[in-house]
Amino acid sequence: MLIRRFSITSAIFLIVFILQEAFVNQLNLPAGGFSIFLILTLLWSALSTPVVAAAVGFGAGILLDLSPSTDGPLGHWTLILVLLSYAISFFSYGDENMRGNPLSLIFMVVMAQFFALIFYVSSGFLLGVSATGFVQTMVTLIGSSIWALVITPLLLPAVAWLHDLAFDSRLHI
Amino acid sequence: MRNGGENRGRLLVVILIVSALFLITLDLRGVSVISGLRSGTHTALAPFQRAGSVIISPVKNFVNDVTHLGRTHSQIEDLRKQNQKLREELISRNNQDGQIAQLKSILDLAGKATFKVVNAKVISQGSSLAFTRTITIDAGTSNGIKKNMTVISGYGLVGVVKEVFANSALVMLATDPSFKVGVRIAGSQQIGILAGLGSINANLQLLDNQTTIKVGDILLARGSINNQPFVPGVPVGRVTSVSNAAGAVTQSASVRYFTNFGALGVVSVVVQAPSADPRDSLVPAKPVPTPVPTVTIFVTPTPSPSPTTN
Repeated sequence: MLIRRFSITSAIFLIVFILQEAFVNQLNLPAGGFSIFLILTLLWSALSTPVVAAAVGFGAGILLDLSPSTDGPLGHWTLILVLLSYAISFFSYGDENMRGNPLSLIFMVVMAQFFALIFYVSSGFLLGVSATGFVQTMVTLIGSSIWALVITPLLLPAVAWLHDLAFDSRLHI
Repeated sequence: MRNGGENRGRLLVVILIVSALFLITLDLRGVSVISGLRSGTHTALAPFQRAGSVIISPVKNFVNDVTHLGRTHSQIEDLRKQNQKLREELISRNNQDGQIAQLKSILDLAGKATFKVVNAKVISQGSSLAFTRTITIDAGTSNGIKKNMTVISGYGLVGVVKEVFANSALVMLATDPSFKVGVRIAGSQQIGILAGLGSINANLQLLDNQTTIKVGDILLARGSINNQPFVPGVPVGRVTSVSNAAGAVTQSASVRYFTNFGALGVVSVVVQAPSADPRDSLVPAKPVPTPVPTVTIFVTPTPSPSPTTN
């Protein structure tokens, strides 16, 4: 069972990672664009138990760190996603008002993405990663959040279905 | 039992956090295994990015046009008439035609400066999540590309090679806020430092307080020691406005890059600079205004009808 869950989850994340790198990153969208990979990770975490979410965050973080477009050291995104995935799951798992309500899930994922980017910039500053100016950073942060607000509702049914497929959780949102 | 499970869960989370911190430490210490992992991922992703570039190109061009609609509204108005005339001709052209045109202009520029270049296709734009301005090209160490080499387009400076892999390389664009290049003004040879601002415009800070600069001045790369990271003489941009702030030690100016970073399809990496500085030979020619023909109208008075008698 564990192997089946791990295989399905890994395959889904790997495919979405390739889609993100090969297609979405090349769209050069205004105001920072969006990351379906990051949204998938946060949605998946929100639907999982805290321990599974942390493990998913670790794997997704490693993939993001290995991305050619990532500027920070290996482990930078990993650390942020382990913490945020655990946090988002901790707040939503077991609370059916939160998990059963798509609006709450979307709000939580958008906020989590906003904080993920803030943590990435601030910790990147400490780690010596070159960052853009304040105004540009703010435009990217707000723009990415707006993009996430648009994209997350579109991804939510598919992610919930895939999560159900992998974990057989009979989740109904 | 439940407490035991929770404790095991917390222990796993702590292990994951420590592992992440361990990876950060290893990377910052420059362990070769980590860079090997990155290089491997880059190599594995390059074919997907290349395929994605081919598929996404029409969509990207469309999005690019939409996002630049406000800024280039007046240009679009001017070009609309020309487009109407050329539509039938352009309809048969595809993406490769555009890339060939870019390549030709690059080769013209490189040939004029006697640069030895390696041409490469842009296979990916940098992720916005990295907060940097980068592109990925489909040429790497196997093509003779090394770190800190100058990257040019047909119009001038594009950026500098930041990371090199077997069959691809990461290029930091001149628009990146951390990008800085030493420049000189064509003609007067006055020098300054140009810094990226994250957009098509950059900020020029002159080094000499006796120096004067005016709108329309053209900037060329000053060149670096051993021609790395910058080869001399590459056109960079044109001064669009000059700031004469009271109390400022030196003048500063706003500069618009020659290169259109939103439509990069093909670029060249300068692998060998000429032995002699090309000086001002690469300064782009000023657009020649088309003479408007003067129309002279000769008016011949018509004879007034004379009354007829029966």
